[in-house]
Amino acid sequence: MTGLILRRLAQAPLILLVIYTVTFLLAWALPGSAVIRDEGRAPPPEVLAAMEARYNLDNPVAFYFGYLRGVVTRFDFGPSLRYPDWTVNEILSGALPVSITLGLAAIVIALFIGSAAGVAGALRPGSALDAFTLTLALVGVSLPTFVIGAALLLVFPVWLGWGRVGAWQDASDALLPAFALSLPFAAYIARLTRMGMIEALDSDYVRTARAKGLPERTVILRHALPNAFLPTLSYLGPAAAAAMTGSFVVEKVFNIPGVGQHFVNGVLNKDLFLIMGVVLVYATILIAMNLVVDVLYRWVDPRIA
Amino acid sequence: MTRALLTLLILAGAMLAVAFGDRPPPRADLTYIDKQPAFTLDPQRVSYEQDIRLVSALYDGLVRWDPYTFDIVPGVAERWSVSRDGTIYVFHLRDNARWSSGEPVVSHDFLYAWRRALMTDTAADYASALFHVRGAEAFFQFRANQLAQYAALPATDRTSARAAALRAEAERVFHETVGLSAPDDRTLIVELHSPTPFFLDLCAFPALFPVHPPSVEADVSLDAATGRLDQRHDWTKPPRLITNGAYMLTSWRFKRDMRLVKNPHYWDEPRVRLRSIDVLVVEDPSTAVLAYQTGGADWLTDVLTDYLPDMLADPDAEVYGHSRFGTYFWSFNCTPTLTGGRPNPFHDARVRRAFAMAIDKRAIVEKVRRVGEETADTLIPPGSIAQYDPDRAVGGAPFDPAGARALLAEAGWVDRTGDSTPENAAGEPFPVVELLCSTGSYHQNVALAMGAMLLEGLGVRTRIVQKESKAYRDDLRRRDFMMARGGWFGDFGDPTTFLDIHATGDGNNDRGYSSAEFDGLLARARAEADPRVRLDLLAEAERLTTERDLPILPIWRYRQFYMFDASRVRGLSEHPRSIQRLDYLWIAGDESGGAP
Repeated sequence: MTGLILRRLAQAPLILLVIYTVTFLLAWALPGSAVIRDEGRAPPPEVLAAMEARYNLDNPVAFYFGYLRGVVTRFDFGPSLRYPDWTVNEILSGALPVSITLGLAAIVIALFIGSAAGVAGALRPGSALDAFTLTLALVGVSLPTFVIGAALLLVFPVWLGWGRVGAWQDASDALLPAFALSLPFAAYIARLTRMGMIEALDSDYVRTARAKGLPERTVILRHALPNAFLPTLSYLGPAAAAAMTGSFVVEKVFNIPGVGQHFVNGVLNKDLFLIMGVVLVYATILIAMNLVVDVLYRWVDPRIA
Repeated sequence: MTRALLTLLILAGAMLAVAFGDRPPPRADLTYIDKQPAFTLDPQRVSYEQDIRLVSALYDGLVRWDPYTFDIVPGVAERWSVSRDGTIYVFHLRDNARWSSGEPVVSHDFLYAWRRALMTDTAADYASALFHVRGAEAFFQFRANQLAQYAALPATDRTSARAAALRAEAERVFHETVGLSAPDDRTLIVELHSPTPFFLDLCAFPALFPVHPPSVEADVSLDAATGRLDQRHDWTKPPRLITNGAYMLTSWRFKRDMRLVKNPHYWDEPRVRLRSIDVLVVEDPSTAVLAYQTGGADWLTDVLTDYLPDMLADPDAEVYGHSRFGTYFWSFNCTPTLTGGRPNPFHDARVRRAFAMAIDKRAIVEKVRRVGEETADTLIPPGSIAQYDPDRAVGGAPFDPAGARALLAEAGWVDRTGDSTPENAAGEPFPVVELLCSTGSYHQNVALAMGAMLLEGLGVRTRIVQKESKAYRDDLRRRDFMMARGGWFGDFGDPTTFLDIHATGDGNNDRGYSSAEFDGLLARARAEADPRVRLDLLAEAERLTTERDLPILPIWRYRQFYMFDASRVRGLSEHPRSIQRLDYLWIAGDESGGAP
């Protein structure tokens, strides 16, 4: 176990360096100038030249290594080119807690809804309940979040007067967006759990457990579910990383100050430092989540060595 | 398994509790929603409307605009005098003007801010607003050259000491050559290189507002590698931001919210009625409307939903529009050749005018936009600059498809093959016209309508090219387009705030339009001492661009739509130039603030 963790931690910088390099190449190739704004008055050319020199935008090699040095030595992701009063560190330290909170809430909701629906379906495959949960899962996967999000906003705050629109002040403001964000994950988890559960219920050890005369509850919860849960568990790593680094659409519809918007807006604005900062943070979280899942895997299933 | 899930649940609950630990402060007197976050609160760097509105509430300039008439009213300067030839302004600062820290606002604070604006290091968008001051433009160039020479030195010669010496030299040159001086704390003398009738109007523009030198200077460092002054912006955030206007900033969370509270040190404090203001950012247009409708805000500063026409039809929707100081237009590429060296038919002004005459602007406004904009034939909105318009009627190119066809024929484009597409003398058909616009807005619909009108009126085929705004902007800059959507808002009360974009070589002349006649008129106007004659010259220049040369095809005058409860929120101005002064607003029935 310690060996695995150490090995992964040693690999991480290398993976991050590759990701940094690819991101840099792609971001640098984006069309347009990083210092010219899309709208409004163009600053004098001398001012633009000064800004390009200031941020090494006229020299890709200096930019690549200069930025890397800043990140490695000072943990400094640089200034935002689009929002001159803010640094990328400030932007991310404000947005990350929001996204992590929302993402965790969404994953917890998805786990409950998804595994309950999956188990319910697997117990009686082909039944009306199974068909119902499968259909719901299909809807959950295929309906775009902006439709679900807008519908939730219309039904709850606007028609029923429950909750607020576009606010992020207390925990109740997180409920609707977390639910909207959880649905695609829940749908996927439901299908994974159902598959795993049907397989587990058909296995020898479950037959043995039943033959021993164990109550059905114990058979399902203690013997079948942990094994049926393995595919879900391996899915949870990337799912948690994706949920916790924000969703552009959910953030836009519910006006949540999270990280997801910066992925998209950073690219649209060619805000090089912000793009790089966001991608590096996302990659780090993804690596960390995968490590957590691998550790959990061994804990749930000791056979995997 | 159940236990693990339970643990997760408790963990998530705890996270939520921590994330929302501190109670939100009680609601402010006024809450408004902007479509974009503030980019910067550094007056010398502002450019966007929401920033200008905030800077205008947080800081106070030498003089101010009355938000309802746009007359010049006193600000930090209680009085001023202008020399007979209109080139020397002497401002007398009031003795009760204070920073929010309690320190007095002195003339040096203006000198400091204006010098900042003129240093290329600051990257001030509006540096050129100060070029009317004697020696200012030369100083701006001097600093740019100084830094360029420094950057060319070998790395070992570029030391902190040398960069500091460079800065000291720049400051010396500024004080010796630029026509600005502060003989004492309460007097500021400005010397212009030629009479500039709108100079006071420029002084009321937020980019020329002062900054608190000690707090800015604390964030300035010298970059030995480039020699330039490096500016961190911690000073624009609370609690460090020190301002001299009606409000001070007590909190600013990036892309979330801001709180402004009344500045007790503001010299005109009794006039200010709202004690606190919350500024929220909601980028999604529909979410913004829903947030307003469910009571999340008192005022929505920009209604941009696709269903705006339906909202306008509903008398209870609380949507109000007013005309703005700006124009929506399409640009023609006026350069001789297109990308790839193809000849550009739009280099011929007759072709541009023919295109303009083939467009039915009324139909676009009434059937495509459907939000009640006025059609526009000129870039300068008629009636928006008080002293300019009377008896200087400037016309445009009227909708006249037959006339348009005749004009196109005069330019050599006639349908010679009977396929309804015009050909030139060599028999080459008129090229398919690319209509370049940015994605995610109504431009595509406008382009579709224009395409249909051009096909019907002139037999010219079009193709819509939609690009992300960065790529669109880049195409404009490289003149890699035929026709492209555009727009322009004026900054100050003078025709040049619009006309300058047609000057040869101007940074905002996306069209590559270049006319010696037009440039000559602008130059003569610059040198003209008689304000009336000067405006006549500018009107002649404007006429050149709207009646004959048409580098742009104006379509409508911008309209801005607010949502607010008119029985509660009071003091909003309908003046086209107004982006609202927050210190002039009040809530009906709440008289506790101050006197009207």
